[in-house]
Amino acid sequence: MKRWLLALVLCLSPVFAQHPADSAFSHIYVSIEGGEQYPFGDLIDAVENSFYGGVGFRYAYLENIDGFILFDYSYFKPVPEGVKIYGAHQFSGKLGLDFKWKAIAPLAIGAGFVCDWVRGDYDEDKLDEISFSNDLGGTLTDNETEFGWFARLNLPLIRKETYKVGFNALWKELWTLPKRSETLSVGVYVERRIW
Amino acid sequence: MKSFGKIVKSLVAFCSLASVGAFAAVDAEMEGMEVDQRDDGTFLVGSPTFFYDRILGAGGLHSESEMWSPEKLRQRMLLDRMSILPSWDVMEPSVWIKSGNELGDMIYRDFITAENRPTNRTPILEGGFRTPSFKGFWVTGRAFQDDHFTTSNFSYRKSFVDDEFAIFGENYPMFSTMYAGFGYSANSIDASFLAGEEYIWIFSESSRWIPIHYKPRLEARIDASNIEATVAYEDAEYQDKRKKEKGARKELNGSVYYRCGEACRRGMLQLSAGLAFRAVDDSGMVYTHLEEDRAFLPFVNLRFEPFNNLAMEAMFAVNERDWLVQDSLEFRPPVPRYTGVVVGVKNISGTRLNPLADGEEYFDGDTISLKADGQMNLVQGYTAFSDTMGNVGMGGRVSFWAEHGAETFDVDRYVEDDQMVYRHGDVERINSWIRGVTGELWISAWYREMFSFKALGGFERVDGNSSRFEVTPVEFFTSFTADWLLRKSFRISQSLRYRSDAQWNLRSVDPLVVKGDWYWDATFEQQFPAHGLYLTGTLLHIIGSETIETPNAAENRLRFICTVKKTF
Repeated sequence: MKRWLLALVLCLSPVFAQHPADSAFSHIYVSIEGGEQYPFGDLIDAVENSFYGGVGFRYAYLENIDGFILFDYSYFKPVPEGVKIYGAHQFSGKLGLDFKWKAIAPLAIGAGFVCDWVRGDYDEDKLDEISFSNDLGGTLTDNETEFGWFARLNLPLIRKETYKVGFNALWKELWTLPKRSETLSVGVYVERRIW
Repeated sequence: MKSFGKIVKSLVAFCSLASVGAFAAVDAEMEGMEVDQRDDGTFLVGSPTFFYDRILGAGGLHSESEMWSPEKLRQRMLLDRMSILPSWDVMEPSVWIKSGNELGDMIYRDFITAENRPTNRTPILEGGFRTPSFKGFWVTGRAFQDDHFTTSNFSYRKSFVDDEFAIFGENYPMFSTMYAGFGYSANSIDASFLAGEEYIWIFSESSRWIPIHYKPRLEARIDASNIEATVAYEDAEYQDKRKKEKGARKELNGSVYYRCGEACRRGMLQLSAGLAFRAVDDSGMVYTHLEEDRAFLPFVNLRFEPFNNLAMEAMFAVNERDWLVQDSLEFRPPVPRYTGVVVGVKNISGTRLNPLADGEEYFDGDTISLKADGQMNLVQGYTAFSDTMGNVGMGGRVSFWAEHGAETFDVDRYVEDDQMVYRHGDVERINSWIRGVTGELWISAWYREMFSFKALGGFERVDGNSSRFEVTPVEFFTSFTADWLLRKSFRISQSLRYRSDAQWNLRSVDPLVVKGDWYWDATFEQQFPAHGLYLTGTLLHIIGSETIETPNAAENRLRFICTVKKTF
C-alpha cells in the first residue's frame, strides 16, 4: 500500500510546483495537544486505550497547504495476561501537510510520515533481558522504533486573536511485523500564532 | 512479478511524461554507504564495512574498493579494501541527529505474537556537532553506528567477543564509532585533531568476520597551501573469546601529498606527488600480518596537456615489494557547442591492487597469502558522447577492456560450521585474458532548479577462458532518477532501478546467485533555508526483496531513515 501512496505523491508533486504565490513560512504557530488513542483491529487485544499529550508546530507553506510537526508522549498498558512488562513508553514524531480546501473549510485534511520510539517499562532487577527476549513483550526491553504514515482531520473550533482551539482526529499505520499496526487518536489542541 | 514489472514501467513512463534535469540525490543512509543506492554496475553490500562495488564499464574484475589510489589517502583501509566508512572526515559547522530502522519491528504486536516471532530489526544512530569558527578555532564531536546488516550472523559474531562490542546498544553493529576533537580553519590552513574509540567488524579473505576494537584511535590532518598531510595512530585489540585468543596491534599510518596548485594547473605539465606509509607493532594473536611490519608507498601523479584537446595522465606508485601504474590518454575532438565527444584509452598494471595492505591472513592453522606473484595488466579503450538540446540532454559510452593476471582466490578447500562457510587457499591470478564489452545510454531532462530526470541503461558482456571469478558482474541495468525542488524548500529525490543477476563464485562450494531485482529509493526533505534547518526522511529498497548479497553476510532490508540538521 505504502509504495502506491508514494508513487502518487511522486507523480503529483510537479503539480504543486506550479503555484505562484509565495506564502512559505509567512505564518508560524505553536500548540499543545492532548487526547486519547484507540488501537484498531486485533491490536485491541494487545494494548489498552491510552492518553497522549504533546506539542505541535505548524507553518504556512503553499497557498492552501500548511506543513506541521507534532511530538507526543503516551504510555500503553498491555492487555494479555502473562506479559511481564508493566507497559510501554511511546514517543511519536510526525511530519505532514494539511490541505485546506475551500469546499470543506474550516476543516483541513492532512497526511504525512510518523516515527515512533518505544521502550518497555519493567523492573530491571526482576527481569533477565536475555532469557526474556523470546517472551511476549520481550523485544520492548530494548529500544524499538518503527516508521509509518498517517492521515488526519483538523477542525478549528474557536478563534480569538492569536489563539485557536480545535479538534484533531488522526489515523496512523505503523509498518510493523507480522502485520501493520493501526491506531486512531482523537484530541483537542490550543494553538497560538507566533507571526 | 511480471505484471508488477509492467506496472512499474508504466509508472515510470507516466512520471516522466507528467513532469517536465541533474542526477537524483537520494540520501545515503550514512556517509560512505552511497553504494547501496547504486545499480549502474555491480554493487553488492555485505555490511557497511564490506561491499563489492564495480561500476559498469570500469574495466577489470576487481571492485573499486579493492584498488588503492592517491584519491583515497584519507579513506580507511579495512584489511585490503579502501572504505569511506567509518568516515573521520569532519562535517561542516552544524548540529545533527539521524536515526533509522529496518522496517518490521513488532512494537505492540509483540504482546500478541507468541509464535513465528520475526527476528529483531536493527537501527542506525548518529549524532554530532561542529561549532562555528571562533577566530578560526572550532570544536567537533560525532557518534555514529550502523546496526543494519547484522541479524543473520549476530549470534555467530557475539560468540567472538566478551562485551556488547558497540558504543551503544546490543546489536553487535558492524561498526560503532565515537570521536571528538578540535581544529583551526583560517588563512588557507585547515587543521584538525580527533580522538575517539571504535568497534569494527572486518570481512576477511577466509570469509570470517574479525572484530577489532580501537582504543583509542587518533587522527590529525593539516592542509596548508598545496600540501595535505594526515597521520593516524590506532591501538587495536583483537579477540576470539571461543578460542581464548587475544592480540594487539599498534599502528601508525598516514600520508603527505603535494597537490598541483592553481598556477601549476595552468601549465602544460602538471605534477603532484606524495608518500603513504604504515607501520605496525603486533603482539599476541593478530589475524593478519604486514611484511616487515611496515609499508611505504611513494607515488607521482602526472598530467600532460600538449594541446587543448589532448591529455595524458599517469600515476606511478612503487616500493620495494610492489608497484602500481595507472595511465590514460584522452582526446576531445573539436565538436559543435553543447555537444561533447571523448575518445580514450586507459591502462592499469601492477603487482598488487592495494600495495599498502597486509600480506597474509592466519586462519585455523593456515596462512593465506593475500598477495599473488606476477602482475596484472588491464587495458581499456572507450568513447563517450553527449548532446544537449534546450532542456533535454542525451549521451552514451561504449568501451572494450581486456585484463590479464586479474587477482582472484585459489581455493584449496571449504570448511563449514553450523552457520558459516570459510575458505582456505591463497590470493592468485587468472593467467589468461578476460575480455569485456560495455555500453551505456542516458537521456535527461530538467527545468530550472525545480526538476531533473535521468534515465540510464547499460550492458556488459564478460568473456574469457576462465569464468569463475570472485564475482560475476551484472550484465545489464536500467535506472530512472528524478529530483524535484518545490518552492526552493521541499526536495523530493527518487531513484528506481533494475539490475540483473550477479554471482559470488569463490566463497562457497555452490555459487551464491544474487538475483536481479527492482529497487526504489526516495528522499523527502523539508528545508527551512533561512534558518538552516533540514528535516529529511529517506526510504531505501522500497520494492527490493530482502536478500543476502554477500556470503556470510546478512539481509539487505527495507529501511527508513530520518535526519534533523541545523547548519550554522
